[in-house]
Amino acid sequence: MSGTAVRQAPQQKSRSSAPWLIAPGVLWMLVFLVTPILLIVYVSFWTQTTFKIEPTLTLQSWQAFFGSDTYLNSLWTTVRIWLIVLASTFIIGYPTALFVGLFVKNKTLSTVLLVICVIPFWTSFLIRVLAWRPMLGKEGAINILLQKFGIISQPIEALLFTELSVIIGMTQIYVVFMVGPIAFMLGRIDPNIIEAARDLGAGFGRIFWKIIFPLSLPGVVVGAIFVSVMVLGEFATAAALSGRKVNLLGNIIVTQVGSLKWALASVVGVILTIVMGLVIAGFLRIVDLKREL
Amino acid sequence: MAQGMNSQQPVFRLEGVSKSYGSVTALRDITLSVNGNEYISVLGPSGSGKSVLLRVIAGFDVPDSGRVVLEGRDITDVPAHERGIGFVFQNFALFPHLTVFENVAFGLRNGKVPVAAPDVEQRVKDMISLVGLAGMEGRGVHQISGGQKQRVALARTLVMAPRLVLLDEPLGALDANLRHRMRNELRAIREKLGVTFMHVTGSETEALAMGDRVVVLDHGRIAQFARPDQVYGQPASPSVAHFLNRYNIFEGELSGKRFTGPFGMIDAASVTPADKPACAIRYDRMKVEEEGTPGEGPAISASFVASEYLGSSVMYFFEAADGRVIEVEHHLSLGQPQSFEPKRRYRLRWKPEDAIVFGRG
Repeated sequence: MSGTAVRQAPQQKSRSSAPWLIAPGVLWMLVFLVTPILLIVYVSFWTQTTFKIEPTLTLQSWQAFFGSDTYLNSLWTTVRIWLIVLASTFIIGYPTALFVGLFVKNKTLSTVLLVICVIPFWTSFLIRVLAWRPMLGKEGAINILLQKFGIISQPIEALLFTELSVIIGMTQIYVVFMVGPIAFMLGRIDPNIIEAARDLGAGFGRIFWKIIFPLSLPGVVVGAIFVSVMVLGEFATAAALSGRKVNLLGNIIVTQVGSLKWALASVVGVILTIVMGLVIAGFLRIVDLKREL
Repeated sequence: MAQGMNSQQPVFRLEGVSKSYGSVTALRDITLSVNGNEYISVLGPSGSGKSVLLRVIAGFDVPDSGRVVLEGRDITDVPAHERGIGFVFQNFALFPHLTVFENVAFGLRNGKVPVAAPDVEQRVKDMISLVGLAGMEGRGVHQISGGQKQRVALARTLVMAPRLVLLDEPLGALDANLRHRMRNELRAIREKLGVTFMHVTGSETEALAMGDRVVVLDHGRIAQFARPDQVYGQPASPSVAHFLNRYNIFEGELSGKRFTGPFGMIDAASVTPADKPACAIRYDRMKVEEEGTPGEGPAISASFVASEYLGSSVMYFFEAADGRVIEVEHHLSLGQPQSFEPKRRYRLRWKPEDAIVFGRG
C-alpha cells in the first residue's frame, strides 16, 4: 500500500502543476490577441466627431460603413481580388509544387529548389512590390520587349496602375506560400502507392486525380489559408501598384487611422476579421487537418 | 481458377536474365521456370538481388539482357500494368484516403479495361469475403489492423485476376504472432484461387514453410531451386547451408574423397560440387560427449559457452579452439536436456553420413 502511495504522489503533483505550463501561452494570447480584438469591437461603437472620439456607444460608424457605396465596393473588391489571387497562386503554385515535391526524386535537389523559391524574400517587401513598376509600366520591360519583337505596336497601358497589376504583384509575392505546404504533402506520398496504382492499370491522369490530388489536399488547404489571410489583410501592394485606384479594406483602415478616425477603422477591422474567420472556417471544413498532418 | 489445372505446365519463365545498376550486378544470368498453381518462395539475404528479381518480373525494372516469358508470351518489353502480374508491396502501399472497398475496387474502376459498376461491386465483394474481411468494406484503411491491411493489399491485387502474384516480403511488416497466422492464410487464399504466388523473403523459416519450391539467391545467382525438404536436407552450396541457419560449416581442404578440417580428416562418401571446399553438419545431428569418452566417427572438441531454451528444443553454444562458435540442437522429444559446465571442454561427435562435403569434385 505504501508503494502505491509513493507512486501516486508525483503524479498528483504533475497534475496540479500542469495548468501552469500553459499559463504563459494563455497570458500572451489574452494580452496580445483577445484583449485587442475586444477593444477593436468596443471602439467601433464609440462616437466619432471630426476632431475627437468619445466612449459614448453608438451605431454611427457601422451605419456609415454600410450606408456608403465606396466602403461596400471596397469590401467587394477585397473579396474579388482575394478570390482571383487565390486561384492564380493555386494554378501557378500547384504544378510547381508537383515538380518540386513529387517529380524531383532527389531530396537534396528538392530542398534546394524550395530554397530558391524563398530567395525573393531576402529583399524587402516594398522593394519586391515596387520592382513591378519598371516591369509593367508604359515604358517598362514587358512593353519594350513586346514592342521589340513586334508583337504589339502601342505599349499596353493596362499593365500598370490597374487591378491587373495588383493581382500580378500579389500572385508573385504570395505564390510561395502555396507551393511550400503542397510540396510538403506531395513529398510525403509513399512512391509505392503510386507504383501500386500504376500496377493496377491506372494511367497518369487517373493516378493524379484519384490518388495524388486527394492526398495533397491538406497542403492545398494550408496554402490557401496562408494566402487568404495575407491577401485579405493587404494594403501595400494595392497602394503601390494600383495608383490608388484599387481600395481594399486594408487601405481604408490605413487611411482612416491616418486621419485619426479610429471608430470607422475599427468597424472595417471587425468586418475584415469576420471575413477571415469565415474563410478559414470554410477551408477547415474541407479537410480534417488534425488527422492529416 | 480451376484448382490443380495446368499445375505441371510452366506458367512463367525467366531466360538468362541479368541486371546491373552501374557497377553493381544485381542479377546474373537467372534462368527459372515456374508452374501454374504453385507457391514459390525466394530466399536470400539482403543484397542478394531478390527484390530486383521481383521488380524485373513485375516490369518496374527492365533487365539488361535475357527474356521474361509469361504463358508463352515474351513480356520483356511489356509495361508493368499490361503484364497481368499482380504485385503486393512490403508496406502494403494501400491508398490511405480510400476505404477498404475503394482500395480493392481501384484497379477495376481505373484500369485500362473499364468494368461495369455492378460487376465491380460483385467482384470486389467476393474478393473481400474471400480474404476474410466481409463487413469491413466501409472502413478506412487507418481503422484496420496490420493483418487486415495485408489482406486488403492482397485482395486489391487478386481482384484483377492476375496470372502470377509477386509478394515482396509480405509478412515483414507484421509482428511475429500475426506473421505466423498469415502464413497459413496466404497459402489457403492461394490454394482457393489456384494462382501462382512468388513470395520473396529474408527469413529461411518462412521460405521453407510456405514454398512448394524454394529459390535460394546468392549474389544475384540462383544457388538452389528445389523443394523445401531438399533445400533443408541437401543444401547445394556452403552459402545455402549458411542462409538456412541450421548448419555448422567448417572450411578445409579436399583431396579426392578426403576432407581435412579443424576436426582432422574424414572420408566423404560423396562430394557436392561447390566453389570452395567446406563441410556442413546440421545443428541437430551433433552429439555432445564428455571429453575422453570412447566413440566412433569424426568429432571436434570445444568448450561450452551457453544454452538457449526454445520450447521444443534446446540450443547449446560451444567455442572451438580457433574461436569459431559451434551450435548443437537437442530436440526435447529425444530426451531430457543435458547440462554442461561453462568453459569445460566436451567432444562434439557426428555420424560420417551426416556431414555434407562440398568442393570441386
